[in-house]
Amino acid sequence: MSFFSSIRQKAPFLERIAESFTPTMSRDEKFRLQYKLPNEEHIVDDTNTDITFTTPYGPHRKDEKRINDNGAQVTYVFSGKLFLTPHFLVFRDAFDQNSCVLILNISTIKRVERSPSQSYAFALLVTLYSGTQLLIQFIGLRNRSEQFCEKLKEMLKHNIPNAKRLPEFVESCYSDFLIQKNILRKKDIIAPKAGLGQHFKYPGQPDISKEKAKLRLWFEYYKENGENLAIIQNHTFQKLVRIGVPSRMRGEIWELCSGSMYLRFANPGEYGRLLEDNKGKTSQAIDEIEKDLKRSLPEYSAYQAPQGIQRLRNVLTAYSWKNPDVGYCQAMNIVCAGLLIYMSEEQAFWCLSNLCDIYAPGYYSKTMYGTLLDQRVFEAFVEDRMPVLNDYIVEHDIQLSVVSLPWFLSLFYTSMPLEYAVRIMDIFFMNGPKTLFQVALAVLKVNGDDILQADDDGMFIAIVKHYFQTLHESAHPDSPDSKYRQITKFQELLVTAFKEFSVITEDMVIHERNKYKKTIFENIETFVKKTQLRRMPKTFILSDKELSNIYDVFYQSVETHKISLGTGSSNMTFDVFVQFMGKFCDWAKPSRDDNDQVYKTQKQTFLRKLFNNWDSSKLGELTVNDVVLGLDRMTSPDLLEAMNYFFSLYDEDNDGQLQKDDVLQMSEGLLFLTTPWKTGKFVDLLTKKAIEDDIADEIVKETSIGQQASGEIELPSGVTIDEEKYKARQSERYLTAASSFLQRCFEYAEPLQLDKEVDLLDLSDDEGKSDEAKQAKKKKFASIVANAALDPTRPTVIDLATFRMVILADETYELFFSTTLRKSIHLEEGADDSGNNQVLKSMFDGIIADGRRVAERVRRRVDSVATNKSRAGSIETSTTTESIHTSETNNKMVDLDDFTTDHLEEHEELLQNSWLDVDETTDQSARQERKIEPMSSSLSEKEQDLIEFEA
Amino acid sequence: MSNPITSIKLVLLGEAAVGKSSIVLRFVSNDFSENKEPTIGAAFLTQRVNINDHTVKFEIWDTAGQERFASLAPMYYRNAQAALVVYDVTKPQSFIKARHWVKELHEQANKNIIIALVGNKVDILEENEEERKVEREEAEKLADEEGLLFFETSAKTGTNISEVFLGIGEKIPLKGLENEHANGGLNVTEDQRVNLANTANASENASACSC
Repeated sequence: MSFFSSIRQKAPFLERIAESFTPTMSRDEKFRLQYKLPNEEHIVDDTNTDITFTTPYGPHRKDEKRINDNGAQVTYVFSGKLFLTPHFLVFRDAFDQNSCVLILNISTIKRVERSPSQSYAFALLVTLYSGTQLLIQFIGLRNRSEQFCEKLKEMLKHNIPNAKRLPEFVESCYSDFLIQKNILRKKDIIAPKAGLGQHFKYPGQPDISKEKAKLRLWFEYYKENGENLAIIQNHTFQKLVRIGVPSRMRGEIWELCSGSMYLRFANPGEYGRLLEDNKGKTSQAIDEIEKDLKRSLPEYSAYQAPQGIQRLRNVLTAYSWKNPDVGYCQAMNIVCAGLLIYMSEEQAFWCLSNLCDIYAPGYYSKTMYGTLLDQRVFEAFVEDRMPVLNDYIVEHDIQLSVVSLPWFLSLFYTSMPLEYAVRIMDIFFMNGPKTLFQVALAVLKVNGDDILQADDDGMFIAIVKHYFQTLHESAHPDSPDSKYRQITKFQELLVTAFKEFSVITEDMVIHERNKYKKTIFENIETFVKKTQLRRMPKTFILSDKELSNIYDVFYQSVETHKISLGTGSSNMTFDVFVQFMGKFCDWAKPSRDDNDQVYKTQKQTFLRKLFNNWDSSKLGELTVNDVVLGLDRMTSPDLLEAMNYFFSLYDEDNDGQLQKDDVLQMSEGLLFLTTPWKTGKFVDLLTKKAIEDDIADEIVKETSIGQQASGEIELPSGVTIDEEKYKARQSERYLTAASSFLQRCFEYAEPLQLDKEVDLLDLSDDEGKSDEAKQAKKKKFASIVANAALDPTRPTVIDLATFRMVILADETYELFFSTTLRKSIHLEEGADDSGNNQVLKSMFDGIIADGRRVAERVRRRVDSVATNKSRAGSIETSTTTESIHTSETNNKMVDLDDFTTDHLEEHEELLQNSWLDVDETTDQSARQERKIEPMSSSLSEKEQDLIEFEA
Repeated sequence: MSNPITSIKLVLLGEAAVGKSSIVLRFVSNDFSENKEPTIGAAFLTQRVNINDHTVKFEIWDTAGQERFASLAPMYYRNAQAALVVYDVTKPQSFIKARHWVKELHEQANKNIIIALVGNKVDILEENEEERKVEREEAEKLADEEGLLFFETSAKTGTNISEVFLGIGEKIPLKGLENEHANGGLNVTEDQRVNLANTANASENASACSC
């Protein structure tokens, strides 16, 4: 239950995520996403520049020297755009935006100086911590360049504290270790923390010499292009990632590509703090993590050892505390276990964090909407790119996601052997989410022929499973060309994925997500609601429609309140409860009376009683189930039930007895509940009946019954309704009920002590209509309350039976518990403010407007006349014929000229019966008399029936 | 092709760590393993058994138990002819979840689905009966009301595991099922449509007669 409520609660959160998929992403958002920068970053300024990058080691090496045709050394100059954010300088080349991308953390800058330049108006020479120099030559107006420099200066100042942490951070990067060890020939430097693989061996059987060669390539790359927080990424970088990052280097490259390195630098110590602060705490996520720790890549030796398990526990737990919205989702354990083979705990923690936010958005959320969404997107790609396969799948009723969902959710970790899965991860972190789609499409493509033989989901799965298990085998075992034979299935997969499906771009993914997200969110919403409704406790009174409506309004109330307050619970606090009840119940609607202190107290007290009564957990919050059960009890159509329930509200100790104070509170509660009727805002059935009776009487009196009996009854325009009169009468009735309630309560509680209070009894019978009398009565009522409350000799205890008796003794209160209260709760309409009980004014308007209800009433009155008549037999026939005639006379009016013979009969009839018209319209008294006759004749008729039967 | 083969699509549902995968593992390879990788989405396994000269091929969809995966479940119980709703006899919460699953299946799944309610981990009770938190009677009552098969099992010791699957195998009509399965739920809905139409016709006739 709580699970789905919390999902439901995430709706605004989902909306925010939905926003992030929209094409209207801001420039800053796009920028952050492109360069995987932390959320605080935004573009402070940008300018066009040419830059030259000179590392202290690179160009000095002989074999690395770039020689041009003339044999002179060349340093590359790149033209492009330089962006400044609070913590970064980002440069991207103007050529293809991939030839030279520099992401430079400002903390790495050691010195900035103006540089003399012949060809440029303005140039800066930036020296970095590593000794690398960066020549920035500004293009454009001088004062723009000056402006940029000013801002850069400002950012440099802000970053001074961070710069102090730089040496320590850089030491945690393996790239720095490589440089230190191999160039500076430093001895006894300690290698930075590594992943579990360093100790437990990296997956696969890496060819040692190949690993070393690859590592050397990276070493050369770093020398030339910088490292970690100040590195240029160019086409060589991408190539190096594509051929597979050497195991020892992998952690850092993942960290760099995913941008989690920036997070780790920006939030020093946060990982340790999260673990420390939440030590010993428990949560659902932690229970779930514990269950899965031993089930995460269990075949890898580190996860059979306490060390590996502990690291996994730490990272997953820390993440669940960092992001309680996600908490823990199965599959995260596998992905995280994959990260920890190559990364330290802290690296893995930040990498997981970025992975969940940027790379697999919403995959692991409580609704897993991201997973569902990307499955839909994948289906769309298959439909578009592989129509033949798609047709086949559809035709054979094979569900694609059954196969592909685990690929996405566990990032191929559970599908492919580890050594291949991490290769996919290399590219995934560099190229982003599109990678998963490209690989998935390639899997289908490569296995297309086999899949076209599959009959069902099962076979489909078997084919793919077999394929993944044989990735190391030759893709072309029968080829005569030995080189061709050497190509493995995995290589073939990569080529297919990244060549053939390079058409799948990041923008396409975003666009498609955008297209389907609404449907997916709606489906989830419906699913969650359906599930939650299904899991609601059994209700006796409420219909499904009402339940659904309560559900909607419940979450509407909780959420609007939450947005305004920014609090997190999906349950209902008392304040929200007051609003919520106001949407359903006439007596709880916000009104002008709320300003009245007495009324306000009454309202709060009563609603608090209700709230406490519904609060099953006694935590001061209502769940949707509490509310449903409460409303279900409250709307019971059973009079006894309704009274019992009301009694139980005040009998908090459940001993079946109410103390004096309880009774007084109950009386206050009734006063509050009946306010809308007391003030004449609504009319109850008694008043309604009175009004309709009066109108009916009037109509019956004033109009010809004969004509009205069968036709439409129109309200005579002359009828006026004295609104005030009914209001006053009703108000009177409620006041009387209230006073006699209290009085009777005390009276019946201890009948022996009646004596002097007897004279108050007649209050209830007093129908004084003058204001004075009313006032007097109010006073008296107040004094009763006061006396009863103050007099210590008063009897103080009443039980349920007495309470019921007291209620039943009063017509108004009896009706209140049997109908009025129940009808004042409008669960079908919810948020709408008009109910069945209309405001008196509009009710009168209603009567005048269509007159149907009154007409009904009038007809019933007339009918009672007519029925009696019908029983008399003869009269009934005459009325019917008469009515036919009336209508036919009307018809005649249309074709008066038509004197064809077939109408002759009717004419005769008309003549015969015409006297009836006269008789009925004029002689009302005669009719009235006739009304009285039938009783006896109907009796005789019945007797006749009996006789016939016997015969 | 001496024995006719009937395929039964069967789905396992239930709270996380009640032993769904272990039941399947016991049934499919008569094995038990304490540490199984959690099921991501669903695992697919098959097993053939002979029931009265008839070969039944169980196509088993073992779903993930974590609650947030619930929204994926319809994907797996779609077209299923049988379901095992599993709970842990020592965890009352898992029985509540089981009730929910039964309700959901009745509302959403194939109308003729055969459901078996399975209380797993009875091996724990053998050591200490006090560990039992879900009474047998309570489960039997639910099974009775909802028309379910009911078993108490232990995937660890193998108690009653094959009985569950045999029980389901016996309940599913074997002949002509191959065809029916080929188009899965489609057939079923068509049947329903026919039924509905029939009853509608019947009532029409009835009213016509009364006139």
